[in-house]
Amino acid sequence: MEVNHQTAGRAEVLSVSFHLNGELVQVNTSPVARVVDVLRDELDQTGTKLSCGIGRCGACSILVNGKLTVSCLLLAYQLDGASVTTIEGLSGQGEMDPVQEAFLEEGGFQCGYCTPGMVMAVKSLLDSNHEPDQHAIQGALAGNLCRCTGYGGIIRSVQCAAAKRNAVR
Amino acid sequence: MKRNRRPDGKEKVTGALKYLTDLSFPNMLYGKIARSPFPHARILSISTEKARQLPGVQAIVTHEDIPGLNGFGIVTPDQPVLCKDIVRYVGDAVAAVAADSIDIAKRAIELIDVQYEPLPVLDSTEKALDPSAPFLHPDGNVLHRAGFQKGDIEEAFSKCRAVIEETYHVPRQLHAYMETEGGVIVPEKNGTLTVYVGTQHGFKDRFQLARILGMPESDIRIVSSPMGGSFGGKDELNIQPYGALLALATGRPVKIHQTRQESMRSSIKRHPMAITMKTGVDEAGKLIAHQTVIVADTGAYSTLGPAILDFAVEHAAGPYIIPAVHTQGISVFTNNGVSGEFRGFGGNQITFALEGQIDRLAAAIGMDGLEIRRLNLRREQDAGPLGQRIAETNGALDVFESAAALYREKKSASLQERPWKKIGTGMAVTMHGGGLGFGRMDPAGGRLTLKGNGKIEISFGFEEAGQGILAVIETITTEQLGCAKEDLSIVIGDTAVVPSSGSTTASRGTSMVWHSLQRLKKPFIAQLLKRASLLTGKERLSLGEGGIWSDGEFLLSYKDLACGQAEIVAETEFDFPVSPDPIDSAHFLYTYSGVVVQVEADLLTGKIKVTDLHQTVSAGPMVNEMGFVGQIEGGGVMALGYTLLEDVVMKDSQYVTENLDTYLIPGIMDVPFQLSVEPIEALPEQDHFGPRGVGEIGTVAVAPAIASAIYDALGLQVNQLPVHPETVLKSIEERGVFHGGQSSNSGAS
Repeated sequence: MEVNHQTAGRAEVLSVSFHLNGELVQVNTSPVARVVDVLRDELDQTGTKLSCGIGRCGACSILVNGKLTVSCLLLAYQLDGASVTTIEGLSGQGEMDPVQEAFLEEGGFQCGYCTPGMVMAVKSLLDSNHEPDQHAIQGALAGNLCRCTGYGGIIRSVQCAAAKRNAVR
Repeated sequence: MKRNRRPDGKEKVTGALKYLTDLSFPNMLYGKIARSPFPHARILSISTEKARQLPGVQAIVTHEDIPGLNGFGIVTPDQPVLCKDIVRYVGDAVAAVAADSIDIAKRAIELIDVQYEPLPVLDSTEKALDPSAPFLHPDGNVLHRAGFQKGDIEEAFSKCRAVIEETYHVPRQLHAYMETEGGVIVPEKNGTLTVYVGTQHGFKDRFQLARILGMPESDIRIVSSPMGGSFGGKDELNIQPYGALLALATGRPVKIHQTRQESMRSSIKRHPMAITMKTGVDEAGKLIAHQTVIVADTGAYSTLGPAILDFAVEHAAGPYIIPAVHTQGISVFTNNGVSGEFRGFGGNQITFALEGQIDRLAAAIGMDGLEIRRLNLRREQDAGPLGQRIAETNGALDVFESAAALYREKKSASLQERPWKKIGTGMAVTMHGGGLGFGRMDPAGGRLTLKGNGKIEISFGFEEAGQGILAVIETITTEQLGCAKEDLSIVIGDTAVVPSSGSTTASRGTSMVWHSLQRLKKPFIAQLLKRASLLTGKERLSLGEGGIWSDGEFLLSYKDLACGQAEIVAETEFDFPVSPDPIDSAHFLYTYSGVVVQVEADLLTGKIKVTDLHQTVSAGPMVNEMGFVGQIEGGGVMALGYTLLEDVVMKDSQYVTENLDTYLIPGIMDVPFQLSVEPIEALPEQDHFGPRGVGEIGTVAVAPAIASAIYDALGLQVNQLPVHPETVLKSIEERGVFHGGQSSNSGAS
């Protein structure tokens, strides 16, 4: 197939609006732009990480309408009208989410690159399950890879976060 | 118990931390690297014409555009930055593009027309060593030979009651740091270059880049921290030269962040090795003869291949005292990617083989696996594995006895086995050298400064890759000086402002921070107190939280002490401690680990699940519990992956596994829900070497412990990693384990 490289770079531009961490944003972007790239490169929200690009590692996990989603397999136009929460949205007003506090206290991270996605996955778990047991924790985090911790610190963090949230309620 | 939060923690859990691949600069371009599709080929022509015509392409560089040396490599620069006539692996770079967007750069790469003439592919060490094989480098296909000999090996074998000979095969492992290689290279207005790219030795990158770019080192600044993982994998140069050439060509900042596929293709990996060991015991079960032949597939270029082979040779007899040892190693160039530095540095490969031998010998002579180890393990005052004097500790026996006790407990606990499951318990021990070894430049150093703003600045030429060096620096500095963490400002990973500390590798960081503080604290504290005394006229002063104290009373803040006066500086330079015996590459400070695992083998699927992983580690005083435990647990799980899952598969020297869907690293389902770590902190009274680094030790002895547990469960003697379910199933079928056959439960006990 002949590709006209003179025009190939000028793809159609779509206007997409969505709520990002509570604020309405509008971006003009390519129809094939991935959410992770729009967040990182266009909106400078670099807390969301990119690692495998194929939905395997979970480093780019965000919440879309409250649902845990990998942002490398989602196209920006699919966000139109949606409500998106990224890691930056968890610690609004300077106050950290109990999940983040727990990761800090229990050493649930080392290099920290999987951490934003991991924290989002834990947040998603604890929003629906206040006392997750082993199976619930393993199930909820099966899509998030960490190369540093061996998951020990992460599991302790989840247990600590659950306890923290239950103490507050 | 010190369980300090990490100073870089808050930024990490909130996502606020800017990794170097998160940076962007005004007017920034995006870079891509064109790499060879052939594992071995002659370049006939490179045409960049079409690519240059693509709108948005700002620069394309090839070998013609390298002002200095077209080569890199930490020790021997035999890897071309941009290949001119020959490519030797599928990651070899031939051109690089800077464009207005990643998409344009990607399309430009496709438009670069390189004509190749494929050459014979050396996809195994056997092929590469065949006399008819083409030479991959001018001196042939042998990168390095190493060896060690003591005693009369033939005579010793003739006296053995039992001899075991086995060949062990270990795979090519991917570091799989979550952050792939990348960053931004910025040309500054004054003609200098700032390189924001992670590495484990900023000054070494500066040296290598200066040589490539034909620039003075002083014109290059390397900002090398933080990194989203490295594990040895980012110590060698990766994308830096390409970003630098493109930034200089365009006069604009250039960002390169490799995709996972690009990373998989270009990055170094752990050396695959074939290790043949022949080991014999006498009537009493004493190891008396141990012969080893190591063949390492080092891939296309040198990088640290020689040192890794030396390390494996050194550790061939590990913590065992054997009178006759004969070890030979050869590191062979092939077209199979590039093998290089990886956490454990050859120790993981050799320990898998060595502990396999010990278990096999125990089974062969009907001796308890614990007994044979206890009988042969080194004592406190024994020489090191190369006959060198080493820092004396009882680490080997300490970790062994702790692990042995746990092993017995696990083994005797009655476990409910379902008909299709078998439980097995295994253990292994090891010792692991820290630092670069005798005869290698291994300088360290650090600096303390009372800044004008009243902050006590502690700086090192180290990098934070996740291992926790920042927490180590904070903990040790506050402990040694007596100040609070709020009084400190920690500076690392920026060649413009840090002193040279050597590389952030070889489990040396923690150790070198402690040694630096031992040297710095006295002169630094003395200067501060002298000034405080002059200012206040008081005596009996000491450093404390917030400032200077006298007899338990707060006297003067650091800010007031610093205000309007010259900075107070204390600086130190020294070398990593080495043996007094001049034996090349020999180590002096060793750490020790004893590992106990329990596995559950599924007889229907052949899947091995590790249900318990315990590690006892002797590495001197623990600096910070959270960091220590994290390194050991994480290292253990990385090794679990090495044992059961991970293999960068190559076929005809092409990568078959290209991303994390086919290259499997352990997920949370693959690991024991509870890991356990026991530190043994005791050191002999006369020891003045302080805490040892634990970055590697947690990865070294896990594979043989799992292998030992598999043998206990199924009677299968594993000699190849990773252990595939197919291998397990085949073994089960052949030996009728499931259908009422005898499962050898003798294992290591």
